[in-house]
Amino acid sequence: MSTFTRDSTSTSTGSTSDGTNGPTDGTSDATTTEANRRPRLSGMTWLVWRQHRAAFWTTLVATALLVGWIVYQRGQLVDFLDGYGYPGENLHEAGGRFQQYNDAFSFVSTGLQALPILLGVSLGAPLIAGDLENGTAKLVAAQSMSRTRWLATKLALVGLVVVVSTGVLSAVFGWWWNPVKSEATVMEWTSGAAFNTTGPVPVALTLFSVFGGVAIGMVLRRTLMAMVVTFGFTVVLQLVWSDFLLSLGNVVTVTTNKGVTGENTFPSLPHSAHEIDQSYVTGSGDLLGWSTCRHAETDAAQQACLDKADVVGWSVQYLPMSQMNAMQWFGASILFALTAGVVAFIFFWGRKRLF
Amino acid sequence: MSEGMYAGQAAIEAYGLGMRYRRGWALRDCSFRLPAGRICGLMGPNGAGKTTLLSIAAHVLRPTNGSISLFGEAAGSVESGRRTAFLAQEKPLFRRFTVAETLRLGRELNPGWDQRAAEGIIRAGNVPFDAKISTLSGGQRTRVAIALAFGKSPDLLLLDEPMSDLDPVVRHEVMGTLLAEAAERGTTVLMSTHVLAELENVCDYLVVVSGGGVRLAGDVDELMSVHTLVTGAKEGDGVPSALGRHTLVESRTSGRQFTALIRPEGPVTGPWDMGTPTMEELLLAYLRSPDAPPLITPTAQVHGQGLGTGAVAA
Repeated sequence: MSTFTRDSTSTSTGSTSDGTNGPTDGTSDATTTEANRRPRLSGMTWLVWRQHRAAFWTTLVATALLVGWIVYQRGQLVDFLDGYGYPGENLHEAGGRFQQYNDAFSFVSTGLQALPILLGVSLGAPLIAGDLENGTAKLVAAQSMSRTRWLATKLALVGLVVVVSTGVLSAVFGWWWNPVKSEATVMEWTSGAAFNTTGPVPVALTLFSVFGGVAIGMVLRRTLMAMVVTFGFTVVLQLVWSDFLLSLGNVVTVTTNKGVTGENTFPSLPHSAHEIDQSYVTGSGDLLGWSTCRHAETDAAQQACLDKADVVGWSVQYLPMSQMNAMQWFGASILFALTAGVVAFIFFWGRKRLF
Repeated sequence: MSEGMYAGQAAIEAYGLGMRYRRGWALRDCSFRLPAGRICGLMGPNGAGKTTLLSIAAHVLRPTNGSISLFGEAAGSVESGRRTAFLAQEKPLFRRFTVAETLRLGRELNPGWDQRAAEGIIRAGNVPFDAKISTLSGGQRTRVAIALAFGKSPDLLLLDEPMSDLDPVVRHEVMGTLLAEAAERGTTVLMSTHVLAELENVCDYLVVVSGGGVRLAGDVDELMSVHTLVTGAKEGDGVPSALGRHTLVESRTSGRQFTALIRPEGPVTGPWDMGTPTMEELLLAYLRSPDAPPLITPTAQVHGQGLGTGAVAA
């Protein structure tokens, strides 16, 4: 209480300390030297950070721990590859010795893929629903700052935490994967395990999930219900996204005209290309399923059947790995646009319907 | 009634306020004026629309119809937001914040923050600054909420049943603090309450809402002086016809006696006892008889059609 005795004798206006919280929480008086040592939040930013600091710090600390783990794992991986002689030696022949490195990838990538769901439910849903449920939204609305400012600060801070966390994880995970990127046995690049955990995709997916959770919480006004509904929303988002993922690329079609039965008639695809479909192509350019004439009992009968159908070669559709980056950015930009729509809705709802 | 009573600014001017929820109208065509510098009681039965009215004034709710201006500015404008403090009925506070952090919230979000006033109110109740809000008693929380409202240095303080969860001793003490602060700064206070005693000792202005509309509004002394409580022997059924030329608010009979609260339209003559009603009698009479004509005294009347009219002369 001594601080207050001191303050009551001073004539300064509105510049007293925060009591027993010590000088770090004091005012920006030039005399409080310690306060100047670390950057101090102020105004609405301080309030929002203070209110959600447990969730924000948990997210950031968990991110840091995971980054540390990934850095360690990458060291182990590189050591193994150097010892093994990769890429000179084929990894397929390493067998069980490579298994533990493979497992580490699938373990971490599962975690990263769950991130949008986890953060959407834990950070997004309660962000505003909590204030509406406890009445603290009214408390903030009764102060001198506008509601829009409050919403903007909340979204900005939670967005910052999400972008920092997922951005760093995405970069570090991509760096870990890079040495074995072309090995489909580790992760196929079109699978969620690789596509949704590297580049801009985890940032965009998580941001959309979290802001979607915020909007859901704002409409439902109940934290628990908002968390449940957000869980459903984020799971559905994952399903729709994984369905939709391959249509982000420009499918490349390669056709051959050397028949389909002989040696080396199948076209050679670029390394790590993701094959989408293969079929027979006829002289007139029509496509036939590759099971055509499979029922023939002898090779000669099959050849006759193929000749009769006028099959001249293969037609194979695939996505080359070189498209991965463009596909990720294209998908992410769609998600960012959806997120912008959600933000617009949040501000609209905040102005018209919040109370 | 004189021209002079219009002098001075209006703290609140409400024009035909209406608020409809899904259940129906909570407030209908509610118009009144509250002159600056008054301590005004807002009375009414449960569900009369008191909380709705205060929430609209605090810009927590938007009215379905009508408008409200605070010191001539629309509710919700930056200016009126700064000059108004609102203490909601549930007194929401961040439970995980300490008392000191709660005051810091006020300091960070309000440009005109008065830390000394806020700390003074906290210290007067011996509330520890490092205590978490969740560990405080109801009375201590109310005190913190009031400190937060007063620290804003408002010109208008809107209080929704501020003392409802306090014991009589704490209630008396907190009310004393509140009045001393308001008197010192000339703060206008609009306070809803159920407790008549709170009003009688504290308020010099009164607004009674019932059934969604304003029934009674004006200076307390003036409201009392224009009413007469008449008691006498019953003649036949109900009230003597000689009283018929006055405005009858409410009449009751018991045994061979009748009691009537009237607004005399001239000298009242008759073989009856006449007296000034107490505030309680006045309030109960109006609340019990929804058909009685409402009384809005001139200082409490709004003129013009809403915002933009500013201060109005009679």
